[in-house]
Amino acid sequence: MRIPYILITLLGVFIFQESLLNRVNFLIGGFSIYLVFVIAWTLQEEPSNAMLIGFFAGFIADFSPTLESPFGLWTLILTGFCYFLATTVRGNLDPQISPLQMTLVTASSSAVLLILFISIGAILGQELSSISILLSEIIGNTLWSLVLAPIYIPMTIKFHQLSLTARER
Amino acid sequence: MTTKRTNRTRLLLVSLLVTSLFLITLDLRGLSVVSSLRTAAQSVLTPFQSLSTSILSPISSFLDDLSGLRNAQSRITELEKENQELRNLNILNENVEGELKQLKGVLDLAGKAKYKTVSARVIGKGGTAAIGETIIIDKGSTSGITVDMTVISESGLVGVVKSVSNSASIIMLMSDPNFRLGVRVAGSQFMGILSGEGGGNFSLQMLSASSDLSVGDVLLARGSSGDKPFVPGVPVGRVSFVENSLGQLTKRAKVEPYVDFNSLGIVSVVLESVAGDPGDALVPRAPKPAPTVTVFVTPTPNE
Repeated sequence: MRIPYILITLLGVFIFQESLLNRVNFLIGGFSIYLVFVIAWTLQEEPSNAMLIGFFAGFIADFSPTLESPFGLWTLILTGFCYFLATTVRGNLDPQISPLQMTLVTASSSAVLLILFISIGAILGQELSSISILLSEIIGNTLWSLVLAPIYIPMTIKFHQLSLTARER
Repeated sequence: MTTKRTNRTRLLLVSLLVTSLFLITLDLRGLSVVSSLRTAAQSVLTPFQSLSTSILSPISSFLDDLSGLRNAQSRITELEKENQELRNLNILNENVEGELKQLKGVLDLAGKAKYKTVSARVIGKGGTAAIGETIIIDKGSTSGITVDMTVISESGLVGVVKSVSNSASIIMLMSDPNFRLGVRVAGSQFMGILSGEGGGNFSLQMLSASSDLSVGDVLLARGSSGDKPFVPGVPVGRVSFVENSLGQLTKRAKVEPYVDFNSLGIVSVVLESVAGDPGDALVPRAPKPAPTVTVFVTPTPNE
């Protein structure tokens, strides 16, 4: 029952990202609500669930028509990174993670994810933009992730809560 | 139990990672199915993107306007300057066009009467204490102009040369209170004296008690001996009001001049009347009335 709900939610956020947010001209870099949404969601999940969510989220992200990277790259990165988040990062934090901690982890994780995506993409032969543009993208995305956290963190928590059964809550 | 669960999780992780690598391999090997997946995704996203474009375009335009405000300000200043220059050019063009029209008119008039003329631009207007209502033109004695020559415009008589220097002349307008001119009525040839009264008003005093005069009669210059100060036949004006006083021996009338003294741009000084008196040849043609449409309606009796 959870899997279809999670898939539909991820698809909704992906469409919002691709159709609306990608058109917004942010002053520095851009902002990926899809990435921070997946990260924030994963932080509230068990490792096995986090891994699956990462896999499905990555698979959906790979459908982005504007991507030039190989299909499956986001699947690979998000699967591994979500597992890492759920086991290592989440394990070192309090069980009741605070919104501030979630914000900081989400913003820094989005930066790490972008670096990983660019690096592995480059290894696989993807053409890269100039360093200044890449830095601007990564820094801009991190900043916007911090600035807009009061909007997407409560939203993610709410969606996550709705995906749980009464017993799980 | 926990170890078993961890092992299952790790196994799942490895499976998922292998699947991801499999997908990447397929893509790198150029499998068309993989590339067509993104094309299909684009087809699904297109309606959403169109919708978002219609939602975002006003906001986006507003933000673009805000970011380009500084550039827009300098652009506005530049365009305002350009606009002013174009306006000035347009005014100049209109002025030249008006002058050309006047020049054509006055040359037509002079050509019809076979006057030898010198055309000049009005460069000043004033009422000097010595002369009264005058204009200054940019041609003088070097162009052959001398005192007491007739000055005409496209519509008719303007005045007479009163003072000449090398490169300019002062013209006494016929509206000057000191201006006197012998005129004749076109057609009937009755004669009279036209006097300027200042401010564009004129009075006509007929010479003969038997002269018949009516509103609308055209007055032409009678001409002077040796064509100075007036050449004959130049249109002067039209009778606008006839006074009927019992105590007067001759008729008096008010005259409306043909020339608008406030819009003089180009005038011609008549140097010589080659063909003599043109008679009534220069009488301006009355404007043709617009044809009136007449509709006849025959009533049909109701049955």
